Amino acid sequence: MGKDPEHLVKGRILLSARNEILERLKAAPKKEIPVRPFMPPLKEVALGRDELADRFAEMFTAETGIVYRAKNNDHALETLTGIVKREGLKSVMVSTDEVLAPLNLPAWGIKIDVKVMSPGDFKGRDDFKDAVFDGVGAGITGVDFAVAESGTLGLIHDRDQARLISLAPILHIAIVPVERIVPVYESVVASVFEKEPFPSQFVFITGPSMTGDIRGHLFKGMHGPRRVIVILVG
Amino acid sequence: MRVSTEQFTELAGQGVEKARARPSLKMVPHFLYQKREAGLATLPDAAAAQACGAAIRSEALSRLPDLLEEFEKNAIANGAKVFWARTAEEASEYIVKLAKERGAKYVIKGKSMVTEEIGLNGCLSEHGIEPWEGDLGEFIIQMLRCPPFHIIAPAINIAVETIRDLFMARADMKEPTVDPVELGWAARLFLREKFHRAEFGVTGLNMAVAETGTIINLENEGNIRFAKSSPRTQVSVMTLEKVLPTMKDALHVMRLLSRNCSGQKISAYVSMDSGPKKDGEIDGPEELVIVIVDNGRSRIYQDPRAREALRCIRCAACLNICPVYRQIGGYAYGWVYSGPMGQVLMPLLLGLDKTQELYRACTLCGACKSVCPAGIDHPSLMLYYRSLDVSADIPAAHRFGGKKRPWKEALFFKAWSTAVERFWMWNSGISMVRPLMNRGSHRGVIRRMKGAFSGWFRKRDFPAMAKETFHERWEKIRNIW
Repeated sequence: MGKDPEHLVKGRILLSARNEILERLKAAPKKEIPVRPFMPPLKEVALGRDELADRFAEMFTAETGIVYRAKNNDHALETLTGIVKREGLKSVMVSTDEVLAPLNLPAWGIKIDVKVMSPGDFKGRDDFKDAVFDGVGAGITGVDFAVAESGTLGLIHDRDQARLISLAPILHIAIVPVERIVPVYESVVASVFEKEPFPSQFVFITGPSMTGDIRGHLFKGMHGPRRVIVILVG
Repeated sequence: MRVSTEQFTELAGQGVEKARARPSLKMVPHFLYQKREAGLATLPDAAAAQACGAAIRSEALSRLPDLLEEFEKNAIANGAKVFWARTAEEASEYIVKLAKERGAKYVIKGKSMVTEEIGLNGCLSEHGIEPWEGDLGEFIIQMLRCPPFHIIAPAINIAVETIRDLFMARADMKEPTVDPVELGWAARLFLREKFHRAEFGVTGLNMAVAETGTIINLENEGNIRFAKSSPRTQVSVMTLEKVLPTMKDALHVMRLLSRNCSGQKISAYVSMDSGPKKDGEIDGPEELVIVIVDNGRSRIYQDPRAREALRCIRCAACLNICPVYRQIGGYAYGWVYSGPMGQVLMPLLLGLDKTQELYRACTLCGACKSVCPAGIDHPSLMLYYRSLDVSADIPAAHRFGGKKRPWKEALFFKAWSTAVERFWMWNSGISMVRPLMNRGSHRGVIRRMKGAFSGWFRKRDFPAMAKETFHERWEKIRNIW
């Protein structure tokens, strides 16, 4: 990390711009704060465990996501093997998050002859980027949350959940334990931002990357994954 | 970017001609509008949700200075750096300086409107640093050197053949194609290399949360996530009104923004950053710099009425429903912003004198106001600007650079208001004007007229004036009874 540019040092230029702007805003006429209208809650709030899983799957599928159901971790691994074989994947990049840890994917990879890599295998950012951009056919992650409201995955990025694994490869496979499904975004954010330090980045992922920028023609796989597959466990 | 708001009428005419030649242009706003309706219907009470969005934005503006201080404090506590810029130039020059100090050969950009407002790309190029737009639409218009046609779909009007020729000329493709998917793939392959090697990323942002010091971006393509994951330095630029009180408020605005923009319940990617990457994380920026841009907004904030224009969350619902935008498209508006949101914002940023035609190119139908999730009353703002502009000698007009109307027009309306306020003057005026008005009438309809009112008759006619006024007739009828 380089030295701070001189503008950033708490010098005269910085403080005067900041203070000038804030003072002008503070001197402006005050206006009243309006009362917030009542809003009925979303219907997902009232759903039970199984209904939440169904709702999540329904919404995720609506965004062209693919959902597999697995009874337990062994079943999930079998399903994953099936996907990897069908897709003809030779190598994958996997996270080391707490959902994936018990699956022991490195051992699974050796058994089915697929190269399983994770960020820890690389010397640094540049080597990791080379592999995750060009060297793998899929990224496999766990999730911290899944939201029934819109079929959304929630990932906290930290040392065990690198950002590019769910973004750079053309296929993203996410393992979602059923107990991690929550009804609405508020349930997620309340726990992610419950106490400091906050995660450096938190993302909501809803379906594959997409665009409609050429004549409104919608298609998937613009810059990120073209497909997202979820294995729902439990 | 060249500002051409003063050529509105001329450019609007060209826009109408082009739209006629290419009828599919008109479908996109309709399509987005229908998707919006369906998207809002997924909320239990869409009207209450929209009203709540308006209340949130209103509160954010009322508490703006306090929220900015709270946001800054928390963002710094998260490890981010905060730079304040008074003007577009200060912001651009700072980012260029930082990019140079970090030795960046090029900058990868996530789609943002504020960086267009501050003219960042031009400034980077001048200093030998290539800016690469990561969003497909922005990439296309950057290569074609076009302004944005629509705030969320900047290249939506560009013909596939034009894009094919562009990509063939750039050697992005080996075989020519007009298939949007294959064109998108060609752009993906080119930009992927840029994302991969990026050392310096610049993004805008949709929301800044005071409570946590977090910045939030919504997008569908992934260009913003790449710009925030791959480079070592991330600069996120915000105008100062982007701040919201709480995370909970941000989630509500997120629901509304996605639905009002494209009808989605949520955009494909929502990323929330609280500081740079932490130790042990292999990707993400080593430094996160948040640039807070004023560029005239603290001046706008002095006027409690004009301030309402700053509620905008850039969803583009007002563009898609606006009967004027639907006819002329985005180029006529002459700068970064277009449609009703541009018509209420740009006069304040550029001056009422340089945008006189913008806030007059409105029928006051109120469609924009009816769809706005931030509760902006565009028509009344445009009326306000018109009133400031004609009375350029009052202090509020000085603030926004109002310019008096031509003396003939001013004289006409002065005479008009004098006449309509005095019945005897009105009545004698009517009897004097009637023969002049009706001179060219045919079967009770006036089809053309010379002089100041000729413009009206280019596309319309006008009923001839009745032989008698209502009062004159009433006198006769009353005598019969």
